[in-house]
Amino acid sequence: MSAVPHDVAHGHDHHDDHHHGPTGLMRWITATNHKDIGTMYLIFSFIMFLSGGVMALTLRAELFQPGLQVVQPEFFNQLTTMHGLVMVFGAIMPAFVGFANWMLPLMVGAPDMAFARMNNWSFWLLPPAAILLIGSFFVPGGATAAGWTLYAPLSVQMGMGMDMAIFAIHIMGASSIMGAINIVVTILNMRAPGMTLMKMPLFCWTWLITAYLLIAVMPVLAGAVTMVLTDRHFGTTFFNAAGGGDPVLYQHVFWFFGHPEVYIMILPAFGIVSQIIPTFARKPLFGYASMVYATASIAILSFVVWAHHMFTTGMPAKTQIFFMYATMLIAVPTGVKVFNWIATMWRGSMTFETPMLFSVGFIFVFTLGGFTGLMLSIAPVDIQYQDTYFVVAHFHYVLVAGSLFALFAGTYYWLPKWTGYMYDEKLGKRHFWLSMIFFNVTFFPMHFLGLAGMQRRVPDYNPMFADFNELATVGAFGFGLTQLLFAYVIIKCIRGGEKATAQVWEGAEGLEWTVPSPAPHHTFEVPPVFEAKGHHH
Amino acid sequence: MMTNKQRNGFIATVLAVLWSFAGIRKGRDYQLDAEQLNPKHVIIAGIIGGILFVFTILAVVNIVVSQ
Ligand code: HEM
Ligand SMILES: [Cu+2]
Repeated sequence: MSAVPHDVAHGHDHHDDHHHGPTGLMRWITATNHKDIGTMYLIFSFIMFLSGGVMALTLRAELFQPGLQVVQPEFFNQLTTMHGLVMVFGAIMPAFVGFANWMLPLMVGAPDMAFARMNNWSFWLLPPAAILLIGSFFVPGGATAAGWTLYAPLSVQMGMGMDMAIFAIHIMGASSIMGAINIVVTILNMRAPGMTLMKMPLFCWTWLITAYLLIAVMPVLAGAVTMVLTDRHFGTTFFNAAGGGDPVLYQHVFWFFGHPEVYIMILPAFGIVSQIIPTFARKPLFGYASMVYATASIAILSFVVWAHHMFTTGMPAKTQIFFMYATMLIAVPTGVKVFNWIATMWRGSMTFETPMLFSVGFIFVFTLGGFTGLMLSIAPVDIQYQDTYFVVAHFHYVLVAGSLFALFAGTYYWLPKWTGYMYDEKLGKRHFWLSMIFFNVTFFPMHFLGLAGMQRRVPDYNPMFADFNELATVGAFGFGLTQLLFAYVIIKCIRGGEKATAQVWEGAEGLEWTVPSPAPHHTFEVPPVFEAKGHHH
Repeated sequence: MMTNKQRNGFIATVLAVLWSFAGIRKGRDYQLDAEQLNPKHVIIAGIIGGILFVFTILAVVNIVVSQ
């Protein structure tokens, strides 16, 4: 697609380029501008990413050798739990919302998000939630140690750190729901004339569907943790067998949220990669229509596979087979997407700037995670794998090499639009290669560890697992340090460098490339006229 | 009574949903869908399709287990 840059070329008064209103700290506290709020989301998520990363490195330090050296087992369990919660709810999800805030209005030609003040509230709920979470390390009993899934009955027993985690989840859930409503309304009601739904960039489509998923399942998670809360303090026995409840009920409710949640964390990543690959292959996305259809059906089907996380809970054989079949079938539309990306690159004139490197890396490594997911979906086999490092390997392949690599790709792709400067390509590429190598050094051995029977969430292990654990720890520290390089590249780019053009990338198409770089504070106050070249047909 | 046009719309909606479960759709068919189908109908058909999907797998499971 392409667009006519009416907004930029004509009638764009100079005063629009500047921020008016409170300055200094108040500019951020009272922010209603989608770009300011997007920036805050991205900074917040990066801070959480580093915090969760420090926790992970502490875990890996303890696991460097068998035996206990670095932390007490109780603290190890707190770190495992908080690493998961912080990464999922603090890093990955808010980062995607940051991308949505920055890019959706620019992509659909809207002046801002639909509800600008609610947008401010969505963001500012997050820091208190983060303070509750991180602060829980310092209360009596420490942070919750029930695992990021907060399974009952463990979660019914913990100290007040558990209550703080529950409230943090409530707050983050409210933030996500408001963010999602904003995204839905912006996409449905504020598109530029000529931009029909079917002409929207794929990133908008994946976020539209993700936003519906969020609205559907965040209340389910809130319900699950509220039931834990009332079991803890108000005498209910939802999850207590002695009072007529059932701890397995918690797992059903949690995973009814949890499986759609994993798609919440991957669909926007699919969207980012689907923007980048056509740009650097200089070809339109192959099978745009199938991508939209596949995303929609993944969203619907993601509601009927949740119990593949529960194959060892003693479900009836029929139920197990049902969830096994359903899970395997949902992999079909996911696989179709991979083929579409490959077909897009087929015979394209490709170049491999950093965003493209991360996107191609994403396809390779995410696909590996998809395959291990398929292995895990085979119920009789999963009974061996459940709660081993094989599962840990699986979900880090899809979440780190999937969601996180796509976030890196998107950052490099749109960074010149955000800052007005080109980032250091050489360092960006180095960030990619180091991330790719260290990621695999860290997580590939975990497949073998899991197959050999090493349990997840343990601070100590049989000496026979020592070699692969050593390797994984070395990889993890390498990966962690590499992310400091990422921070350096970003800061360097914000400070200056080669000036970016409006177009930035030769092969890029879409409304966001019609506004200058850096994108002025206010854009598309007069709706642009969108004219599709008709590539999709 | 359904008019001819509505019936075509019905079949077209069902086909669009079925193709989406496979994750593939021809660009030309998709353009026709985009022009002709009512999004509300597609969403309803998608949810009904999801329910039918569940019952189909259940039926298959029953056959498999009964043997
Ligand atoms: C082809 C697609 C996929 C299939 C078939 C699949 C299947 C599975 C199965 C069966 C499990 C349960 C393993 C066990 O606990 O024994 C699992 C765990 C998990 N999957 Fe996937 N998966 C897929 C894609 C994804 C994606 C895209 C994500 C996230 C972006 C994801 C995130 C996770 C997480 C976080 C867990 C572990 C949760 C926990 O126990 O803490 N998966 N997957
Ligand atoms: Cu799942």
